[in-house]
Order: sequence, then C-alpha cells, then structure tokens
Amino acid sequence: MNSEMLYALRDVAGVPSHPIVFLVLGVLTFALHIAAVQVMLGGTALVLANAFSRNPMRRRLAAAMTTTAKIAVSVAVVLGVAPLLFVQVTYDPFWYTSNVLSAWWVVGFIVLLIAGYMALYFFYSRNHHLDDPQHDTRSGWSLVAALALFLVVGFIMHVLTQQMLSPEKWMSWYAPGGVIEPRGRTLHDYNLWRFGFFIALAAPVTGAWLFAYRRYLSAGQLAEANYLQWVGALASKMLNIGGVIALVLLGGWMATLPANIAGFATSPIVLLSMALLLLTVALPTVLGQRTLHTSLGYAPFALGAVALIAVAALREVLRWTVLKGIHGYDVFTYPVHLDWYSNVLFFSTFALIGGSTLAYFLTIAWKVGQTPMGQIYTPSAAIDRIGTVSMWLVGLWIVQFFVVGFVVWAQ
Amino acid sequence: MDWVGLYPTWYEPGVGSGWVVGIMATIHVLASHTSVGAAILFAYLAVLAYRRNQPQLLDYIRKYGMFLLVFSYVIGSITGPGIWFTTTVASPRGISALIHSFVWKWATEWVFFVIEVVGVYLVIYLVGRVDQRTHMRIAVIFGMASYTTMLIILGILSFMMVPGKEVWFTEGGYLNGFYGSNTFAQLAMRTAFMFTMTAVVGGIVAARITDPAFKREISRKLAWLGIVSSITGAALFQWYIRTLPETAHLVMDNRLPSYFQPAIITVLLGILAYFVMTLISSRTLVVWGASAATLSILLFGLWPEEVARESIRKPWVAGQYIYSNQVVGRDVPGMNIKSEIPLLETHGFLKTQVFVPNELRVVTPDNMLKVGESLALTTCSNCHSLSDTGMRPLHRYFGGATNVTEVENYLRGALSTGATMYMPMIPLKPEEAEALAVFIVNMKQPQAAIAHIQHKAALAQADQAAALPATLTQEVR
Repeated sequence: MNSEMLYALRDVAGVPSHPIVFLVLGVLTFALHIAAVQVMLGGTALVLANAFSRNPMRRRLAAAMTTTAKIAVSVAVVLGVAPLLFVQVTYDPFWYTSNVLSAWWVVGFIVLLIAGYMALYFFYSRNHHLDDPQHDTRSGWSLVAALALFLVVGFIMHVLTQQMLSPEKWMSWYAPGGVIEPRGRTLHDYNLWRFGFFIALAAPVTGAWLFAYRRYLSAGQLAEANYLQWVGALASKMLNIGGVIALVLLGGWMATLPANIAGFATSPIVLLSMALLLLTVALPTVLGQRTLHTSLGYAPFALGAVALIAVAALREVLRWTVLKGIHGYDVFTYPVHLDWYSNVLFFSTFALIGGSTLAYFLTIAWKVGQTPMGQIYTPSAAIDRIGTVSMWLVGLWIVQFFVVGFVVWAQ
Repeated sequence: MDWVGLYPTWYEPGVGSGWVVGIMATIHVLASHTSVGAAILFAYLAVLAYRRNQPQLLDYIRKYGMFLLVFSYVIGSITGPGIWFTTTVASPRGISALIHSFVWKWATEWVFFVIEVVGVYLVIYLVGRVDQRTHMRIAVIFGMASYTTMLIILGILSFMMVPGKEVWFTEGGYLNGFYGSNTFAQLAMRTAFMFTMTAVVGGIVAARITDPAFKREISRKLAWLGIVSSITGAALFQWYIRTLPETAHLVMDNRLPSYFQPAIITVLLGILAYFVMTLISSRTLVVWGASAATLSILLFGLWPEEVARESIRKPWVAGQYIYSNQVVGRDVPGMNIKSEIPLLETHGFLKTQVFVPNELRVVTPDNMLKVGESLALTTCSNCHSLSDTGMRPLHRYFGGATNVTEVENYLRGALSTGATMYMPMIPLKPEEAEALAVFIVNMKQPQAAIAHIQHKAALAQADQAAALPATLTQEVR
C-alpha cells in the first residue's frame, strides 16, 4: 500500500479546519475518555475484590465503586464519541480500513459493550444493600461478566487502533493469498504491551481517584477516620504498584516499536509522559496527610489527568511518526475547506454553554453530595445565576438554530 | 494513473451489511427519540410540580428516568456510536462524507450529549435532595439540551437524503447543505412522533403506579400526548413526503415492500386506539400492554420506516453525490469534488480500485469467477445480499438467468450507462461485465457459469495456438 493509494482513500470533501485542530481536540478528548475508562475498569475491579467480603469497610467501598463504575461507563461512552469523531476526520483512510477488515468485531464491540453495561446494572439492581455486610452479595457472575466484557471491548478498540498503523499488511489481511475474505471475522494485529499499558493504568488512575474520594468524604465529614485511613492505604498501594507495572508495560511497548522508528522510545513526549506518571505516583507521598485534610487530596487525580493528556499526545505523535515516517502519509496536507460558521458555533457552544452548564451541574452535584442525607440543598444566589445563564444560553442556541435555518431556507 | 479510493468491502452473508445498519438504527431511534421526548416531558412535569406543588410528579420523573437509564442511556447511548460503527464498516465513504461535512455539528452535538448525560443523573437522583425550583431548572436545561441533539442530527440525516439547498452543489457551504425543506419537515415530523414514543414507553412506568388517582392523572397526560402527537405526526408526514426528491418518490411507488405502508398505518391506528383506551380507563394501562405497544412501534413502525428511509435514498447513500456502492457519482464544484465515473469509464474498477488483489486485476478464464465475486462485492453488495438471505438478494433480480451473455448485455447496456432507475451508474469495462455476469449466473446456475468459463478457456487456448506458429515464424526470421 503506497502513499498514493493512502491519499486516494481520503475523503474527497476535505476538512473544515486545519488538521492540527482535530488532532489537538482528539488528544484532549481521548485523555478524558481514557480516564473515565480507567476509573470504570478500576472501579469494577474494586467491586469484584471487595463485594464478597464481610468486612464493613470493604463492603462500603464496593457499594461506592459500584455507583462510580456505573456512572463511569456512561461518561466513558459519551466522552469516547469525541475522539472517535476526530479520528475519522483526520485519519479516515486508516480508521475505516482497519474497521472494515475486522467488521464483525466492530459490530460485536457495540453488542458486547451493551451486554457488559447491562451486566453491571444487573449486579447493581441485585445488590441494593451491598454496603451492609449482613446481606449476601448476589449475582457475582454478572460482575465478572461485566469486567470481562469491558476488557474484551477494550481489546477490540486496541486492535482497531493497532491495525491502522500497518497499511503494508492490509492487503494480506483482506485477501490472504489473493482470495478476498470479506466477512471481517478476524482481529489481525495487536501489541499486548501497549494494550497492557492502557489497562494497567487503571490501577494508578483509580488510586488517584480514591484519594479524591477520600478527601470528598473527609471534607463533608461523611466517613469515620478508620475508613478514610484504609481507603488511603489502598489508594497508595494501587498508585504505587499499579504505576510501576504501567511504566514497565510502557517500556515494553516502546521496546517493540518497529526498528526504523525505535528512536521514538526516547523522544521528549515519551520522557515527559513517564515523568508525569512518576510524579503522579509520587505526589501523595510528598503531600502526606494534606491529601486528607486539604483540597490537595484532589491533586493526584488532577496531575494524573495531565499525565493522561501526555500519554494521549504520545499515542498521537507515535501514530503520526509511523504513518509519516514509514508510510509517507502526512496528515497535515489534508485539503482544508474552512467553514467559519461551524467553527465558531462549535467553539462558542463548547466554551459558553458547555462551560457554564457543566459548571452549574457539577457544582450542584458536589454540594448535594456534601449535604447530609435527609436535608434539602438550596443553592446560593451566585450558583442560581449560573443556572439561569445556562438555561438562557441553551435557549438562545435553539433560537439561533431556527433563525439561521429559516434565513438560509428562505434565501 | 489515479486511484479510486474505495475501501475494502465488508460482506455479512447471513443478513447483509445493510440490515446490520438497519437493525442498529431502528433500536437507536426508539431509544433516542424516547429519551429526547421524555427529557422535554420531564421539564414540563417539573415545572408543573413546582407551580402546583405536586411532588408526586417528581416521583414519576424519577421512576421513568431510572427506566430510561437502561433503556435509553445504556442502549441508546451505545447504539448511537453503534450507528457510526456499523455504517463505518458497511458504507465507509458514506459516513465519511457526513463526518467531513458536519464534523463541527457533530462536535457541537457532543457538547449537548455530555450535558444530557450529566443532566439525566441529576434529574433522577436529585429528586428530594434539592429544592423544587432548582430541580425544575435542571430539568428544563436537560430538556432543552436533549432537544438540541435532535435539532443537530436531523440536519445531517436530511443531508443524507438530499443537501438542504440545490445551491450547495455549486457553491458548497455548510449551511446550504444543512438547512432545507426536508430538514424542517423531518424535524417537525420526528418531533411529533418522538412524543408518541415517549408516551408509549412512559406507559410501561406509569402502569406500575399504585395510587389510582395519580395513575389516572399520568395516564391521561400520556394519552393526550400520544393522541395529539400521533395525529400531528401523521399530518407532518405528508409535508415530509412532499420535500423528498423525485427519485425517492419513484422508489416509494415502485420498490418498497407492499406491506410497509399498511404496517405503518396499522401501527399508527393501533397506537391511537391504545391511547384512547387508556384515556378512557387508566386501568387498561398495564405493563404488558405498554410493552407490546412499544414493541409494535419498533417492529412495524420504525423498522419499515428506517428501511424505507434507506431505500428511498437510492441510488445515493449520502448527499446525492456518493452512490450506495461508495463511488463518487457526480461533480460537486462547490466542494471541489470530482465524479469518479469518468475515471472508471476509462480504466474500469479492477485497474483503479485500491483494494483489489493483484491476481484479480486482469481477467482470465482461471480467475473470472473470483473477479466477478470481487466486482459484486464492490459494486453490488452494499444493497444486494450475495446469498439467499438478507437484503434484496442479487440473484432474484436476474430471474434465474442461465445465459451469461444475456446478463452481461444487461450489465453493459443498462447498468454501465446508468439507464436503470434507482441504480447507480456502474461503468464496467466489457471484461468486467462478463466476469460479474459469470458470478451472478453461478449463484443459481453454476453449470451454466462453468460452461461459459470453459468456453472462454477453450477460445483462449485456440487463440494461443493460432498465435504460436506466427511467433515461431518470427523467431526463425
């Protein structure tokens, strides 16, 4: 598959902004998505590890993580839409080919993800008293199934991403020996180091999440000291051990890069990612008890998020290096047909409506969480104002949709 | 030489790739329309609850919302990207055309998705945890944000059928592609029917209400919502029909299965009768009845509607410039898009298509059947199953033809020239048409296909033999 053929696969309509815009947004949204995925995996694994114990602390954590994992799946799905969109814009020849070559699994991804999510919901619905050690935990099989299915769909996504990088093998996958095999039933390529790295990251990311969870409980005086201490110890363990394992796997991934781009393993983006991951692992030790008693308890997860942005950038730079360096495909030469209206509409919606509404929603959620059960939370006037502004902004957006639409239609 | 950037083909022999997309889309439409309608219903009920101080309405919101978490926010939110995934593998250039024209619209929709997903959890779990006024405001934001997702996707769906304005072809411009008569007609119609779905699915939850007076109140609200929206939707459907391009009308009149129209009308009348029944007596609102009504909408309303929507776009799959077989079939000067038909007319598919094994780029008696299969995959399988099952099996369109030459003549005379209604222009070179004809005949009459191949092989041998003495003579000289 030469570069001429690869360029021929590009969409004939071009792109409505410079490709760098989509690449940057792809990196940022992938980092958010993978963070949610890792909390989902880590949370589900924690439920599995603790839900069958008679220890009240472990059961309490299992109950909290069941809710966390359930919401994390929703968040992971909705956040995953954005990087999926952007990869289609810039890397359409590679993404579409890779998908078609394993089409059966692409469709299976959806079915298995629904099954995994339903299994998690089923476990949740069967164990409303999970935090009470007096109650037996029921339908553990559904939890195992959920975790297994999440890992399978993760692996499918890994394969699709991996297959993108090997255009030289596409023809042999599509028509082995010259005979076309169009059913797409095979997963052709994988790198277990790379897959393992992203899965192993679930441990430190969830560890950092547990530090935030602990601080949240502590700030609202929602838990006893021994529970907070136990959660802190568990979080440290996950962060330290999981972080080291993830770094080893990252090393393995870098060591298995093709020989002609082996130098990438010591490139600045790889070193930066490693440094940020190490810093995230080390931060709770540096901060000590301040992670419990001050808002610095949220710092490990915040720094972890920054580290994930670096990892997402690493992944993107590697893709560019492989496709440009080995296959001669330069994403930056994609023809641009700039469309100002749609650019402005997206960025203003993202910043204004997304910013204000999510700020309002998340502040309310936060404050309610800190309000003792049985009490009604009433927001302050300032928070109310953000809500009113958000409501008007969304309303205004709908009005502009129809006004612009009718004007265009009438012309 | 230039390449035609066709992707590899995915072919699912059991049901065909088209039906996989159809199944995914049908499920998604039910889940997503219900959730958008429910979000607006929740906003309305939250306002009522606040103004009339009726907290039990919030309890209904909570219960319906919990149901939707699985029904819409698990199944619906995953089948949404699921449509991307299935169209990616079934029609990569079709989805690519939409993505590249409307990436920012989709990205904007994504912002509202995020708001919607956070919002639904708040609307459900904050009942009784925040003051009613705050809950009302959250519900209103959630309802409006949810509806914007429909506003956005409807423009894109309409573009699939036909770009908003004709001028888009010559001048381009995202707004010209997005807005048009079909956009607003489809939006109005779907808005109405989404409330029908919301009312039907809401009945599954309302049926469980134990307080008879409250159940009566909710079932009446749902029944009125359903009656008004069904009748309005049916009326708006007429408007929608008038905004369809002429080609769509031709397909509707001639090619849709005969049971589609009666099925949709029967479902509509049945649903109306169901709502009237539950309006008269809320005791008739039972879980199995509401579930059966939901299922009937899915199977006899949405499935024919989605299949029809897919069919009436033919021969196009997106924007009336990408053929259903993925070839760019017309110039779009406004977007600097050039038709690929002239290139295919000059060089054929085998020489220009990226994903053709080198062994199949030149037709010989030995590879004729395989070449035919490759061409059938590329040019036919998006719309026609190559087996006995699935969407529009290909062999049925040739009436059990046993003569390769007859089929070849049809392919060259009617198909290659674009003279067949609803079909893309498929400019096959003569040897390509012959190979495809062999494959088509082979599906039902393998002996006839083999006989043709043997005949071709014999002719080739004779030609070789005839050419041999001349060659030898030349060498001697």
